[in-house]
Amino acid sequence: MNAPPGLPGRLLAASGSVLAYLWSGWGSLASLFLFMAAWHALAMVLGSLILPTPVESLQTLSRLLHDPLAWEDIAITARRALTGFLLSLGVGSAAGMIAGISLTASMMSRPIVTLLVGMPPIAWLVLALLWFGAGDGTPVFTVFVATFPVIFVGAMQGTRTLDGQLRELSRMLGLSFAMKLSDIYLPHVLSYLFPAWITALGTAWKVVVMAELLSTQDGIGAALAISRSHLDTPSSMAWILALVGSLLGVEYLLLEPLKRRLESWRQWDESRP
Amino acid sequence: MISLQHPLWLCPFRVFFLATASSALLLLAAWGLFLTGFLPLPPFAGGAVIWHAHELFHGCILASVIGFILTAVPEFTGVRPIAARHVRRLFGLWLLARTAFALSGLIGSAATVLAALCDLGLLAGVLLWLAKPLWQGSGRRHLAFFHALLALFVVECGFYASLLGGSDALPWLRLTGSLSMILIIIALSRISMRLVNDVLVERGDDSAPYVARPPRRNLAILTLGLHGAAGFWLPGNPLLGWLALAAAAAVFNLLNDWHIGKALWRRWVLLPYLVYWLMALAYTLQGLSSFFPALPGSSSAAHLAYIGSIGLSMLIVMSIAGRLHAGHDLDRRNWLPWSGAILLLAAGARYAPDWLGAAALLLASGLWCLAWFLYLRHALPVLLGPRPDNRAGCDEGG
Repeated sequence: MNAPPGLPGRLLAASGSVLAYLWSGWGSLASLFLFMAAWHALAMVLGSLILPTPVESLQTLSRLLHDPLAWEDIAITARRALTGFLLSLGVGSAAGMIAGISLTASMMSRPIVTLLVGMPPIAWLVLALLWFGAGDGTPVFTVFVATFPVIFVGAMQGTRTLDGQLRELSRMLGLSFAMKLSDIYLPHVLSYLFPAWITALGTAWKVVVMAELLSTQDGIGAALAISRSHLDTPSSMAWILALVGSLLGVEYLLLEPLKRRLESWRQWDESRP
Repeated sequence: MISLQHPLWLCPFRVFFLATASSALLLLAAWGLFLTGFLPLPPFAGGAVIWHAHELFHGCILASVIGFILTAVPEFTGVRPIAARHVRRLFGLWLLARTAFALSGLIGSAATVLAALCDLGLLAGVLLWLAKPLWQGSGRRHLAFFHALLALFVVECGFYASLLGGSDALPWLRLTGSLSMILIIIALSRISMRLVNDVLVERGDDSAPYVARPPRRNLAILTLGLHGAAGFWLPGNPLLGWLALAAAAAVFNLLNDWHIGKALWRRWVLLPYLVYWLMALAYTLQGLSSFFPALPGSSSAAHLAYIGSIGLSMLIVMSIAGRLHAGHDLDRRNWLPWSGAILLLAAGARYAPDWLGAAALLLASGLWCLAWFLYLRHALPVLLGPRPDNRAGCDEGG
């Protein structure tokens, strides 16, 4: 029998898988560069005044990032988006799982979810402005309410589709609740929850900027509003780049590795003949 | 004239690989002598740079491609190999085209027309022969070879039309460079499936077989094709920079298939792996040179791929197919990794002239010639000699 690997071996294996994960990003990078090429081609047709080239936008972004105030704006936006998202993640996941366990709760929640999904974020924003004014509360609430239904539905679906036979088997084998939770329930529910969380995170980033643009004096959205009022297209594009860049960073450097780790059982399952 | 019974005509790769290595050596030796002024620069149609680039692409590299395709396609599809008399005619066209192009500056447009007819006739002949095996049954999986050669034929038509029309023919040759990269990916994806898996089996590590995944290959081919097309239509445009970076990332993405643990360090895996590395590096530098003018220009970066990537892939393909289809085992002698290393050094030296001056160009030419001299020295007995099992044809030994 092989001895378990020591600490250096484990570290080597861990760094190998980190490297393999980072290397797997080349395909996405190729698509992003193709997107940049398409953007450049469109800018050539429309002219810099309407659509600055990617290089002009990156140069403007680099200039903007030399100003500490820009970092402050990015931090404010990130704080608002993440607060709303985390609130939604906690409440939405818990409520969705509860709704998934009980058929009655699931039936009751269906029209409410339809209502929440159908309500446009801009309508929530108007209400939030009336309730919370021009502070942090408005963007945080708008993000929360816009992302909640996505996570709720993911959690409910994950809980509803748990394999009854597996549950029965675990009962017959007398597995402890902790084992059932970690080996049966959570892996299954998480496989539904993670895509929902990633979609919600993307929505959070989009909604927070919209909310800031219309309701606050700081953050990326407010900066975008200022650049728009100055007809400064390169600055607008630079802020959009900062926004999308931070979203890609959070998704691919934080959520995606976590998702792969938690879903490793699924890969093993799919690799079986 | 060498009789049809000579071992040289046993299999198509023999004469074409010989032509590849000889022309690689002679073309760069002559180029080095022209650069240093030891030989006066003779006149060529379109100028010396056009002659240098065209002869390397359509003389040297195309000969290796034709040798490989005419040998490999019967193996892939199970059809009868091409008859020796046809091989001899195709080689005759190749030789006549090289001679006519070399004399194009002295004789005038008649020689250029003759070179055009021979070069296009050569490609058309290969395409006509390929059409049947590749359009039927299992051969359709290898249609990419046909499409790439057809594209080469069209580009060669455009090149000669430009040359005879008096306009700049260099953009057509840059397009040929992009097509050569695509051909490398098409060919290596097939060769590597066998090579790498053989190494894994040999090491007893075949639990997760190596697969050259088509989506990755298609992305790489798409980006390389877009970069080539944009370079043709919009030379010098920053758009090319983004497309070059996309191509580099797509080629780096191909290497995801190759990270197979310690087997990577075996020569039959490492050398093709380095082909992709060099290609990706060359495109990265081409892309960056669009945005950072302080870097060597895109021509220097492209040569990194021409010398490193194309040179190395020719060396690998010719060393493997050139021995296996002559009934020999794989070559385990040290000259092969040394030749590979010399080609890498030549590629590095060719990238450096903006910093090191003209001496680097000369060094690159010398190293390239040395690598092909080593190949000829070790491969000549195989290419010209009978099979060890005294059989005829292209079957593998054993």
